[in-house]
Amino acid sequence: MPPIINKKKCVSCGYCAQICPVDVIKMEHKEAVVKYPDECWHCRACEKDCPKNAITMRYPLSHLMLNMKPLGGK
Amino acid sequence: MSIKIRNEIIKTDFLIVGGGSAGMQAAIAAGEKGIDVVIAEKADTRRSGSGANGNDHFACYIPECHGDDFELVIRQIDMTMDGGPFQDPTMLRLWVSRSFEVVQKWEAIGINMRPTGKWNFEGHSVPGNQRYHLKYDGTNQKMALTKEAKAKGVKIMNKMVVNELLLDQGRVVGAIGIDISDTQPEVVIFQAKAVLLATGGASRLYPGITPQYMFNDCGCPANTGAGHAMALRAGVKLANLDMAAGHAGPRYFARGGKGTWIGLTSDINGTCITPYQDKPSRENGDIASDIWPGSYRDRMQCGQGPTYMNCTQTTDEDLDYMLHTAMVSEGIDSITDQLAQRNIDLRKEMIEFGSYNIGIGSQGVDIDTHAMSNVPGIFAAGSVGNVKGSLAGAVVIGMVAGESAADYVKTVDEVSVENHPLIAEKIAFYSEILERESGAHWKEAGATLQNIMNDYAGANVRSESLFAAGLAYLATLKEESLKHLYATNSHEFMRVLETLDLMEVGEALMIMARNRKETRGMHKRVDYTYTNLLLNGKFQTIQRVGDEVKLEFRSPF
Repeated sequence: MPPIINKKKCVSCGYCAQICPVDVIKMEHKEAVVKYPDECWHCRACEKDCPKNAITMRYPLSHLMLNMKPLGGK
Repeated sequence: MSIKIRNEIIKTDFLIVGGGSAGMQAAIAAGEKGIDVVIAEKADTRRSGSGANGNDHFACYIPECHGDDFELVIRQIDMTMDGGPFQDPTMLRLWVSRSFEVVQKWEAIGINMRPTGKWNFEGHSVPGNQRYHLKYDGTNQKMALTKEAKAKGVKIMNKMVVNELLLDQGRVVGAIGIDISDTQPEVVIFQAKAVLLATGGASRLYPGITPQYMFNDCGCPANTGAGHAMALRAGVKLANLDMAAGHAGPRYFARGGKGTWIGLTSDINGTCITPYQDKPSRENGDIASDIWPGSYRDRMQCGQGPTYMNCTQTTDEDLDYMLHTAMVSEGIDSITDQLAQRNIDLRKEMIEFGSYNIGIGSQGVDIDTHAMSNVPGIFAAGSVGNVKGSLAGAVVIGMVAGESAADYVKTVDEVSVENHPLIAEKIAFYSEILERESGAHWKEAGATLQNIMNDYAGANVRSESLFAAGLAYLATLKEESLKHLYATNSHEFMRVLETLDLMEVGEALMIMARNRKETRGMHKRVDYTYTNLLLNGKFQTIQRVGDEVKLEFRSPF
C-alpha cells in the first residue's frame, strides 16, 4: 500500500496529508492514514518532505517497470 | 451529508485558479504590480501541479549563449518538442523572448538554475542545432515560488477547488469554490474582477497504461481539465482539443521526463533503431522519443516491438548523473527508487518504453498576446490551446497573464456576486450529489468515460459513425452520472466534480474531432484518409454560445 508510514517514527504532524498533490493521505483521529492508496501518483513528495523521515514508497506490482537484458549480447 | 456554505464572500482583484508553476508566476507578477491576488489551489502550492516535485529542462533563449540571431533561435526551438504545429508564431516568439527573464527571476528566489555553475543546456534538441533546454535543478521550485508569492502579498488558499465562473454582462465577476480541507465540503464564493485559469491539462480522460489504476499517469493526475470545462461553460473559446497526442516513457510506470534518460532507443537485441545518434549522449539526450513518441506503440502493433531505453552503453559517470542528479532535479526519481529497490542494473538491463495514451496538454483556452481569452477578464496560462513551450511556455505566459490582469482590473468596476443566480443553482446541484445515501461511485463513471474516449475517439481509428455513437454514449453517461453519482466526503466530492468536468472536455474533443474531416497526426480518420492541405497551420476552435456549439478553423497569428 503505497506510501508506507512508519508509525514508530511518525509524530502525526500532518504535513504529508497537507502537501500530497492528490489528497491520498488524510489525518484521522490525529493519525496520518493512507486513505486512497490506488490514487497515489508515486511522486515521493510525502517521503521527501516528511520531517521525521517516516515515509517510504512502495511500488505496486501494477506499476512494474519492465527490464530485459539485450538479446544481442552486450 | 450536506454542504456547508461560507457566509463571507472572498473579494479580490485577481483570482488565480490553480497554483502550479503558471499560476504562481502569474501571482508573483500581479503582486508586484500591487493588485490584490488570491490563489485557489486544490492541493498545496508547495507540491502541486505538473512541476510538483521538480523539472530540469527549461527551454530558454540566453543571448550570451545563443547569439543575437533571434529568427535562427525561433527556427531551431520550433524544431524541438516545444515548437511545431498548433502554436501561434507570435506566441512562440513571446515566450521565447521573455524566457531568460523568468530564468533570472527564478535564480534570484533561490531556484538553482546553474547547478554546474554555468548555463548548461542538455537534451530535447536536434543534433546539429544549438541546444536550448537549460538543465537546472527544480526540486525546490514550488516551495520557492510559494515563498515569493507570499512575499508579494498574495493570499494562498490551499485545498480549494474552483468549479464555476460567475459572469455578468459578458465578463467575469467571480467564481464558485469548494473548500475540501474538512471532511464536509464548504462552498466559498469569490468576487473577482479577473480570473486566471491555470489548472493544467486534462489527465485521466483516456485509459492509462494500467487502466485499473487511473493515477498511473505521466502528467499530474490531479489536473483534470477543470479550467477547460469552466471555460467551455462560460463561453470561452478552446483550441485544438482534437489534436491532443500522447507522451512516452517506461511502460507500466507512467512518468514524464523521457528527455532525462541518457540512452539509445533500441530493439530487443539492444540495437539502436533510430538514425539520430549512435552512442548515448548527455548533451542531446534521447531525441527519438521527442520526434516519434508513438514509435513504441507503432512498433508494438506492427510486430517489431518491444522497444527499449537502452543505457547499457552509457558511461558510469553519466548513469550516476542521470539517476541521482538529473532524475532528482526533474522530480521523477521514483524511477531511480524503483530501480534501486528491485536491484535493476541499467549497465546490464534495458527498460521497456511505451507510448502513453492521449492526454490534453498543449490544448485548451485560445488566448491572445495578453493571455486573455475572448471573454473579458478570463485569462489562461499553463495548458492553453495555442502555446507550447512546456514549463517555460507555462511560466512566461503566466507572468504575462499576471501583468495583463493588473492592467485590466483597473479598467473595470467590481460587481457584487451576492445574488448571482448561478450560486443557488450550483448549491442545489452539489447538495443533490452529497445528500444521496447510495448511488454510483465516481470511478464507475470515470472508467466508462475512459472507455468511450478510447473506443470512439481513440488514437487508432476515427470515423463519423464512431463519433456519432461516442457522442450519444457520452450524453447517456452524463445523464446517468448526474442522476446517480454520490460522495460521502469532500475528497470523493472533488473526484465527482473532476469526472463531470472531464466528460465535458471529452465531449468538446469529440465534437471537434468529428468536425476535422481529414487525417493529421494521431487524428486518423478512416473516412477521410488524406491530409487537407487547406487546413495546414489552421487552429480549430470550439465555443458554446447558449445551447449552440460554434466551430471554426482560424488562421494563426
